Amino acid sequence: MISLPLAISFDFLTAWEFWIGVGVLAGIYGIFVLGLQLNVGYTGIVNFGQAGFMAIGAYSAIILVVEVGLPFLLALLLSILITMAIGVLIGMPSLRLRADYFAIATIAFSEIVRDIAQNARGLTGGNQGTLSLELENDVFFTDPWFKVSDWIAENVLDPIGLGGREFENLPLLIVVWIALGLLAIGMTLLIRSPWGRVLRAIREDEDAARALGKNVFSYKLQSLAIAAGLGAIAGWFLAFNLQSVSQDNFEPLYTFLGYAILVLGGMATFGGVLVGSIILWTVLEGFRFLDLPLSADKQAALRFMVVGVVLILLMAFRPQGAFGKREEMVLGD
Amino acid sequence: MLAIIALLLIIAEGLQPFAQRSVNGLVAGSYFALGAIGLTLVYGILKLVNFAHGDTLTLGAYIGFFFNVTLGLPIFLAILFAVVLVGLFGVATEKVMWRPMRRKRAGMLQLLLMALGLAFVLRNAIQFVAGTQPRALDVDVTSTYTFLDLTIGRTELYVVITGFVVLSAVAWMLRSTRLGREMRALADNFDLAETTGIDTGRVVYITWFLAAGLAGLAGVLVVASSGSLNPNTGFFLLLPIFAAVVLGGIGNAFGALAGGIVIGLAQEWSTLVFAPEWKVAVSFVVLIIVLIIRPQGIFGRERTL
Amino acid sequence: MTEARAGGKPILNVEDVHLSFGGIKAVNGATFDVREGSITALIGPNGAGKTTLFNVITGFYKAQAGEITYNGESIFGKPPYAITKRGMVRTFQITKALGAMPVIDNMLLAAPRNPGENLATLLARRRAVRQREREAYEHAYELLRTFNLEDKANDYAATLSGGQRKLLELARALMTEPRMVLLDEPMAGINPSLGRRLLEHMERLRTEEGVTFLFVEHDMEVVMNHSDEVIVMALGRVIARGTPEEVRSDQRVVDAYLGGSSETDVPEGPPTPPPTEAEGGVQGG
Repeated sequence: MISLPLAISFDFLTAWEFWIGVGVLAGIYGIFVLGLQLNVGYTGIVNFGQAGFMAIGAYSAIILVVEVGLPFLLALLLSILITMAIGVLIGMPSLRLRADYFAIATIAFSEIVRDIAQNARGLTGGNQGTLSLELENDVFFTDPWFKVSDWIAENVLDPIGLGGREFENLPLLIVVWIALGLLAIGMTLLIRSPWGRVLRAIREDEDAARALGKNVFSYKLQSLAIAAGLGAIAGWFLAFNLQSVSQDNFEPLYTFLGYAILVLGGMATFGGVLVGSIILWTVLEGFRFLDLPLSADKQAALRFMVVGVVLILLMAFRPQGAFGKREEMVLGD
Repeated sequence: MLAIIALLLIIAEGLQPFAQRSVNGLVAGSYFALGAIGLTLVYGILKLVNFAHGDTLTLGAYIGFFFNVTLGLPIFLAILFAVVLVGLFGVATEKVMWRPMRRKRAGMLQLLLMALGLAFVLRNAIQFVAGTQPRALDVDVTSTYTFLDLTIGRTELYVVITGFVVLSAVAWMLRSTRLGREMRALADNFDLAETTGIDTGRVVYITWFLAAGLAGLAGVLVVASSGSLNPNTGFFLLLPIFAAVVLGGIGNAFGALAGGIVIGLAQEWSTLVFAPEWKVAVSFVVLIIVLIIRPQGIFGRERTL
Repeated sequence: MTEARAGGKPILNVEDVHLSFGGIKAVNGATFDVREGSITALIGPNGAGKTTLFNVITGFYKAQAGEITYNGESIFGKPPYAITKRGMVRTFQITKALGAMPVIDNMLLAAPRNPGENLATLLARRRAVRQREREAYEHAYELLRTFNLEDKANDYAATLSGGQRKLLELARALMTEPRMVLLDEPMAGINPSLGRRLLEHMERLRTEEGVTFLFVEHDMEVVMNHSDEVIVMALGRVIARGTPEEVRSDQRVVDAYLGGSSETDVPEGPPTPPPTEAEGGVQGG
């Protein structure tokens, strides 16, 4: 009997925990990438600061509940407003720049946010994460969420037999995907509206849009602000999922993965974002089931290498993404 | 303006601390400048910022590590290998990726994402091969020289000397040789330069070799002076390097050189006023300020941004 | 040369505008005005600064000196979108039809005062939004019919021929319900019969609704027979103006076209013949 050096365990195909986990991540990052789709796919601005917005959304919501003591829903609402306001603040000086400069300015912004998250320990819990803040104040951000989650588990899932341990994260999956679905539909309606029409014109030819009386700068700001808001929402769900966040949840890696999702999904529709996100996270998490004789570090590196290679190949040979339409492609400019 | 800031800091914190930080700043500035020159030269060819440049530095550092520590060669030999091999890597990316994409008239977003993809592949390939644990080069990290009440590590001194020698050589080459002039012309305005009869194919390959080679050198020097290397080292340097490039005016090699030194100094001077962990944020802030006030940089021409 | 001709007040007033790029003086003290409700041609040899001047007037370039007054208000330094909003629209020499969008979308974009384009009113005033869209659709189809493009309404603008795209840009400009239209070489690349329809439409708008047209043209037949006034530029400044007959016999104009008194300009020969069907021609008309 020849034993294969590479053993693939197919148990994962039936492991509920695995699929629910993938689903949650796909959902969270789906919301995250809806914002990128709006920016890149529909407005033509290359926002590399989305992880920064996610961080601001998560941290501000947590800090408002844990340190300031605000009621949960109010904190969530305020955190969106704060993140969008910061989006506008960042956009004002930087949106006048051309695409690659803007990209770098937004990376710089994202890194500053991460720097603050790491170093302003009193405010954010630093490297130990928000859990340390919660322990200090004895207030836990995710408590109200768990009430909702438990309610769903008892009243919706248990009766249909999905109440077991492996379905623990199912309520989160359901809520995230409902949110993602509503947001995707909302964004699609928005982009089909006259407002969306202006954005699409801007993406293709800013000067033409200006010549038609459109204040291009203002529209770009709005696009960025909305993306920031979406990033914030993704941030809350990330906080629910992880229960404690720290700066390494918001590394530029995640914005980069967002772009991989964007490209996979085609950059043409919001629906494509959902597909792209599912594909990416299935592949990334699925890697765990390849019983490779490698250490964890190396496995992680391999996963990301594959993502990088796929991105390069897609951009070289199929720039409209896996599901995009050639005629709507305005990347070749 | 720089002089004013310097003067204020001297008054506020004293001459010795200021001078000491300046020494440290020059060390950092030398490798920032090396990285910045490469990035700005390549900018003209790619017409965009090469996101993979930081990881090219990392590559150089690891190759240097391999020859120096794993194979036990003396450091300067390791540096030579690093520069040449990374330079060849740069040429390879031009041949395999950038040239074909230019011929296909690929758009900016496409190239940007490809560069990002390359950065990712590079960083993770390094991590795959070498692991994440921090490494160090086989260099002297303890002995120091003291001069006029200022301290500098022995290795750091070599770093500065090497850096400045190479920078001077490169500057001379760029200024006084025909090849250098052609490289600068390409970096500044590729399409225009093409029409003036420059053999763009050849010059582009040479530019890539030089840019990548300098990045590799910078990578080794960084690790030599800071004492620690991990797969993310280069990426974290990308932003200060980019700040240097923008400060000096993108596409302008001399500007990048000056910008690198200024950023190095600025980062170190900031430790007089702020806690050291905010050091890196300084370059981000400088970058954003420059982008707002004068996006074409100090030496750059007003161009359509 | 700065006085408005008797019988019409100037709607556009350009006064001593200067613009240099990297050492070249593109506009060198241009001064003229355009009477309201006129069809005025702007002519001159290549390199005279006509398109550059258009860009300055419509806000795409910022001049270093001078004054530009439109409808009694200074528009010097104002951004392009603000100028379009005030009723002055332009077309481009190299058409800017939005190829990745359908023809009808190109037209709808141009409809002014659309509450659907403002995020707040889009969400709050659904009925007004729907109504304006309906109106815009009707107006758009009307204009497309005039230019023989209504069959192409749902096609991507990139599938149109060069001449059709030019017409689309024109139709789109008219969609903005302008008071003044600046056209950059409107006749180039359009077959003569369609060009005639265009001119008829322009003349009708001028007579019935008092719309002012200022156009850059090289086609002398169009300039001589269809414009009320002609302004001649050379080397960045205005060298003559008047009715077509006056200008045709002005020695300075003849010199500018045939001779070249400065090294920066390539003198153009006699006016070019009207362009024939270009790029496969335009369907119908």
